[in-house]
Amino acid sequence: MSERDAARARIRVWDLPTRLFHWLLVVAIGIMWWSAEYREMDIHLLTGRFVLGLLVFRLVWGVIGGSTARFANFLKGPRAAMSYLSGRAAHVLGHNPLGGWSVAAMLLLLCTQVGLGLFASDEDGLYAGPLSHFVSYDSARKLAHNHHLVFNILLAFMALHVAAILFYAAVKKNNLVGPMLHGSRDAPEGAAGFTPVSPIRFLIAAAVAVVATLVLTRWL
Amino acid sequence: MRHVILCAFAIAGFVAVAEAQTGGAAGVIRDRQANYKQIGAAVRTINQQLKADAPSIDQIRQASALVADRSARVSGWFPAGTGPEAGVRTRALPVIWQNPQDFRAKAVNFVVAARALNDAAQRGDIAAVRSAFPTLGAACGACHDTYRAPEQH
Repeated sequence: MSERDAARARIRVWDLPTRLFHWLLVVAIGIMWWSAEYREMDIHLLTGRFVLGLLVFRLVWGVIGGSTARFANFLKGPRAAMSYLSGRAAHVLGHNPLGGWSVAAMLLLLCTQVGLGLFASDEDGLYAGPLSHFVSYDSARKLAHNHHLVFNILLAFMALHVAAILFYAAVKKNNLVGPMLHGSRDAPEGAAGFTPVSPIRFLIAAAVAVVATLVLTRWL
Repeated sequence: MRHVILCAFAIAGFVAVAEAQTGGAAGVIRDRQANYKQIGAAVRTINQQLKADAPSIDQIRQASALVADRSARVSGWFPAGTGPEAGVRTRALPVIWQNPQDFRAKAVNFVVAARALNDAAQRGDIAAVRSAFPTLGAACGACHDTYRAPEQH
């Protein structure tokens, strides 16, 4: 095997929990939009709890998960982002410095959205987020309006996300969708490899997510 | 000359009446919206109390009484001219005035459901309030699905 072949070997880039999180979130956001649009509020409230659990899981996974899922590995300073934009930066496995910040922004928006939903209420008083009893009717209505507003911001972010993927596919000839599905890609030259973690950590993150979701939606 | 003055008075009179009517329609719409908000907040209170570990029967009584009182007044909140043509922001759809019989029937269903709920609440029977609540919710939805435009955020 020549040096070049070795360099182009397939390596792991995203672990299974990160990929599962991503695609379950895609499906869940679709259900959230549909159920809100067609006033299927029971489904909306149930799926919202699931999204809350997914987000808690991802936040924990960003600390204890595989190397490419960790915030510490992809949240770099503005200089790193500028150097990536200028094309001088070294290759990275996983999120590049710019993509890392867009992931953080997306997670922050999603947390804001779920947070608003927890306290929001419909105008007829028939449906309410599980923490809505902590706020007045008027406040819950304002939060519901913001819940709608943040969804539109999320839509813009999701469009940007898809546009960036299309740009990488068309211009940089780099397929980002495949690796998010099967987890592997051609090893980028000079980039550090992927460090997997024990499945026990997945169980810990999942347990934290389930408990946090139950506390926020049932026991408060 | 006298004719011109009379005409001017007549026109001024028409304008004044028209303005009073528009002001009236706007006032009716404002009151209607304020009342529906009170109903929404009261229904929310009942809903919350029914979900609470220890429901407050006092809060349920107060809120149910308000809903029952307002429900009896709903059919009077939609005089002709208080739809979108009033020029004030309202989500009341023109079909209200095109299907007055069905609209009134749905308003009556609301009164019946609100009274059943209020009777249970005044008796202090939380189990009966709980079983009456979905009927009230369905009565709200039946009218809103047909006669209220979707919310604009």
